[in-house]
Amino acid sequence: MLFPRGPREVVQAVMLNTSGGVTGGDHLEAQITAGPGSALTVTSQAAERIYRSGDGRDGQVINRIAAETGATLHWLPQETIVFDGARLDRRLDIDLTDDAHFLMVEPILFGRLAMGETVQQAHIRDHITLRRGGKLIFADRTRLTDDVQALLDRAATGGSARAMASVLMVRPDAETMLPKLRALLPETGGATLLAPDILFARILAPDGHDLRTTLIPALHLLGGADLPRTWML
Amino acid sequence: MSIEADLILAQWLSPAYPVGAFSYSHGLEQVVADGAARDAGSFSQWLSDILEHGGGHSDAILLACAYRAEADQVEEIDATARALAPSSERQLETTQQGAAFAATTEAVFGPELGHLTYPVALGRAARLQGLPLEKTIAFYLHAFASNLSSAAIRLVPLGQTEGQKVLHALLPLCQSIAGSAQHMTLDDIGSSVFAADIASMRHESLYSRLFRS
Repeated sequence: MLFPRGPREVVQAVMLNTSGGVTGGDHLEAQITAGPGSALTVTSQAAERIYRSGDGRDGQVINRIAAETGATLHWLPQETIVFDGARLDRRLDIDLTDDAHFLMVEPILFGRLAMGETVQQAHIRDHITLRRGGKLIFADRTRLTDDVQALLDRAATGGSARAMASVLMVRPDAETMLPKLRALLPETGGATLLAPDILFARILAPDGHDLRTTLIPALHLLGGADLPRTWML
Repeated sequence: MSIEADLILAQWLSPAYPVGAFSYSHGLEQVVADGAARDAGSFSQWLSDILEHGGGHSDAILLACAYRAEADQVEEIDATARALAPSSERQLETTQQGAAFAATTEAVFGPELGHLTYPVALGRAARLQGLPLEKTIAFYLHAFASNLSSAAIRLVPLGQTEGQKVLHALLPLCQSIAGSAQHMTLDDIGSSVFAADIASMRHESLYSRLFRS
């Protein structure tokens, strides 16, 4: 974890996976808490690469993040890139107090189109769980197995997309943000209010570049001025 | 008991049972507006993906977990079902049908269900009535597919006979999901129908709508 220095009211934390990626049998865990009244933005130094699992075991990633009373937590990692043969079991557990503010983006790429990379075979399980005041209020469970590319080519799944992002915001102004966010989304993106203060959006795109083109203005809208440099235009 | 159980399931999962299923399209109305479901072939593929990789599969597991749960565990399963709804209209779809199913079933059959989402209410009711789990899931998936087929007939140039052909072709899938989901746990839930989730979000702002989801 790196903490870029500089005068700012928001603490920035940059995650760095020194092994350069995740492969079968890896087990990575992080626990991050924004203390009472604090503002913390977490991002990653680079895209997280999920490489072929050599031994058929899953790579496990568990991130437990929390925001205490009056805190603002932004979880804005760069893309996760899934390579052919990858096996990933990832969990993001978010624990908020009743008055904490939260913003999350989780972009995932299935191969890199520009590099001619395809994902014929992979096993991806991704769990996002958000509790507020100990109560379960949001759960997203993604599962992609076998021929991921063929799966994503169908209309109900990816509509041929190779990039997907989920955006989640918990803040009292979620309702007023909804129409503004919708105005920034392409036809392959949608946004909804799961509660008056919980906004959820999903975006599909042909590749990582197109996804960023949508995500950067969306994160500027929702995250304001304190975005990490990786998400600046 | 077997015939009686079948008849109770036929009653609960009949379009005549007042859960209001006909007013929900699970986002299909938006998919049709976008041109992604335009005939029997494209609709059939969309529906089979929803069953196998989306809400059908997740609901089957939620139903099974509610069925096997003890009374004090039902609330946690129901909280998971609510938290999994990917849009406000899908939330409405599962909570309103659940409330209507519970109200009618309590009044007619007597089990105490309370405020539960649809698959959780059905799983709990089936357990309390001593109905077989696998069959309950199969009936649920069939009713789900049947309801979306009739929605498609209303929305797409799809004839009554074609709609029934689509449904008939999906019977083996309903059976195989019921067979595997009956043993699964909440940890087995997982979806890859991102475009269907997005369609249900976009449906909220669709200009002219026949359906509530």
